[in-house]
Amino acid sequence: MPMRRAIVLFLASAGLAAAEPATFGSRVVPILEKNCTVCHGAEKQKAELRLDSHAAILIGAKSGEILKPGNAKASELMRRITLPEADDDVMPSDGKPHLRPEEIAVLEKWIAAGAPATAEFDAPAMVPAVIAPPAAPDYRLRLAQANELAAGLGLRLVPRSRVVTDGLVLRTASAPGRCDDAAIAKLAPVADLIVEAELARTKVTDAGLASIGTWQNLAQLDLARTAVTSTGVARLASLAKLESLNLSETKVDGAGVAAVRALPALKKVWAFGTAAEPVAP
Amino acid sequence: MIDDRHVPDFHHCSDHCGEQPSILDLPHIPLGLKQEWLELETRRHFLGRGAKALAWAGLASILGRTAPHLLADTGALIDRRPHFAPKAKRAIYLFMAGAPSQFETLDYKPKLAGMFDQDLPESVRGGQTLTGMTASQARLPIAPSFAKFAQHGKSGLWMSELFPNTAKLADDLCVIKSLYTEAINHEPAILSMTTGNMFPGKPSLGSWLAYGLGAINEELPTFVVMTSKIPVRTNVQALSNRLWSSGFLSPEYAAVALRAGNEPVLYLQDPKGVSRDVRRAMIDGVNDLNRQLFERVGDPEINTRISQYEMAFRMQTSVPDLTDFSDEPASTWDLYGPKAKEPGTYAYNCLMARRLAERGVRFTQIFLRTWDNHTNLPTNIKVMCEDSDRPTYGLITDLKRRGMLDDTLVIWGGEFGRTVYSQGTLKPDNYGRDHHPRCFSMWMCGAGTRPGVSYGQTDDFSYNIVKDPVHIRDLHATILHQFGIDHNKLTFKFQGLDQKLPGVLPSRVVPELLV
Repeated sequence: MPMRRAIVLFLASAGLAAAEPATFGSRVVPILEKNCTVCHGAEKQKAELRLDSHAAILIGAKSGEILKPGNAKASELMRRITLPEADDDVMPSDGKPHLRPEEIAVLEKWIAAGAPATAEFDAPAMVPAVIAPPAAPDYRLRLAQANELAAGLGLRLVPRSRVVTDGLVLRTASAPGRCDDAAIAKLAPVADLIVEAELARTKVTDAGLASIGTWQNLAQLDLARTAVTSTGVARLASLAKLESLNLSETKVDGAGVAAVRALPALKKVWAFGTAAEPVAP
Repeated sequence: MIDDRHVPDFHHCSDHCGEQPSILDLPHIPLGLKQEWLELETRRHFLGRGAKALAWAGLASILGRTAPHLLADTGALIDRRPHFAPKAKRAIYLFMAGAPSQFETLDYKPKLAGMFDQDLPESVRGGQTLTGMTASQARLPIAPSFAKFAQHGKSGLWMSELFPNTAKLADDLCVIKSLYTEAINHEPAILSMTTGNMFPGKPSLGSWLAYGLGAINEELPTFVVMTSKIPVRTNVQALSNRLWSSGFLSPEYAAVALRAGNEPVLYLQDPKGVSRDVRRAMIDGVNDLNRQLFERVGDPEINTRISQYEMAFRMQTSVPDLTDFSDEPASTWDLYGPKAKEPGTYAYNCLMARRLAERGVRFTQIFLRTWDNHTNLPTNIKVMCEDSDRPTYGLITDLKRRGMLDDTLVIWGGEFGRTVYSQGTLKPDNYGRDHHPRCFSMWMCGAGTRPGVSYGQTDDFSYNIVKDPVHIRDLHATILHQFGIDHNKLTFKFQGLDQKLPGVLPSRVVPELLV
């Protein structure tokens, strides 16, 4: 038996992002986009308010200004987002998630600094990675369908989080033996909701990868200990959002890794216990 | 004997939907407590008593309660979605019980080298009450670390020579040198660390995760605990299942403790001659009886028992595969060391933890005891480090090469720190250290923790924190955050309070520890 190598291939650096200066664009806009612009943006303008540009924020709402640059306490925006969750006037409204304390702190600092459009301000350190762009379409309307479909196949499709555009995770750990190529093919009607597929130890083969190769929103794919080969991996070559691929302890060789290397979003491929050669970052 | 002539005639208010006086009519009981009781009662009966339970749900919502609270404890009806996208799917907590000294492991204090046997300045101690073990000592003489330190990796983290293997992971570790706790003795401190509270009865971290997120693999427990063989027969502290209890949460969220040896879960194997079908029929029969009992008395523990029978039945097939190490490649033994073949050792448990993580177990907690080095610290800590360094390194390296470190959080640490001054004998190569809650060091690794970082700073005596303190509540909040959980929103109503892991005192996620 040839010596099995332990190889981790880093195709793109997963290192720390350089600290970006805190500005309206880098720190405030993502918070507003995550929490506010669904109702106060290009599509809807509830209370005649838009929060999708610096100019629009300064114009304010039907009822008047929402900001007093330099004075966070006197700003209507701050008052509304810091009301108790049960208050009728609290924003975001209709039971949508409240802003997180760190998000509120950033807005407060920005207003206190005079609400600058481009200048830097002194923003507090923020817990990272909570604000994410949509990963998949809103799952709410199709979650029941997805659950039913998966349950019938002995699989599970679970929401990645309460954020409805975070997509679904295909979960097989309870019975990996039940997940085969046929089951994978039957998930097609909800495939656009799947952002992560936990397929380690399943019966998926190269044939199943032809189906998975069409799951356009797939970001994480774990195929460890399956029967897939490089032929199958080549069928993933159009997954534009694929970020990580685990091929450990499969029959995949260098050709399989080469077939996906150029994928635009791919950051990591693991090929522990395979014949793949290490590739420089 | 109870004389039943004096037993008062209790009426079961909630069972009767208004046919009899309601609990709300009783005097002298605060309204909030009455409402909580109603909620609990509603939860108990929700599954078994559809229409009545719905009537109660309606009543409770009139009383201002929201649906998720009512639905708690009914298993499938709990909203198990993380609050936001998680970085960690699972965690492996390497609990160094007894409290390893920070001086010989992670918190390098070079200035102490020139202070051997000098008295600890009173200004540093600041009038702190000491434990009974050193309070009566005439002097508090400084004991520099016998262990040497060197910088490792691109990060230049200072690591002790006692961890030659773990030191190779310097660029992966997120070291915290400024943890602190209130408790100065083991039991309250270890309970604070495992459950967020120094009094028994609160759910442990693993139980909160099991309750909040549910299982990845329904064939195995969500929360597993393993205790390790003791490498040194002195300074042994007791461990108890209080540390992995589910407290006021349903007992199904408590850890299953895996034993060493060929029967990791007791009584799991069927006796000779009992087939799987016979076992199934027996469990169905017992479950039927239990359901009837639940109908009558409505005790939620009965439902727990039903689910535990089912879990045991499933584990009859999932556990043998889990514990059969014959499918491990030869490189496994190079990584974890030969002791990994000996059931019950820390090394064996580390390998088992990887196998559990692979199969989707959410939270695995390995306890390794005898770090409580009041005396003979240099001799004993060397044995402890030798026993644990290679397996710890092996586990992280194994997770990393298999692509699992990105979503598996590894946590290493004890329940408090140790004193800069010696307890008892002081020689350059022999001394002891007492308990010290004001500062201690831990590390985390993987699942979006910031690699190659040392956070927080203690003074020259590692006695007081001088920069970036991290309370253990903050550590808990940060761990929950990596699982996609807002630590203030994962709650369970009990005794009139929305209980949560970090408790009611302020706690925060520490962003500097995260990528």
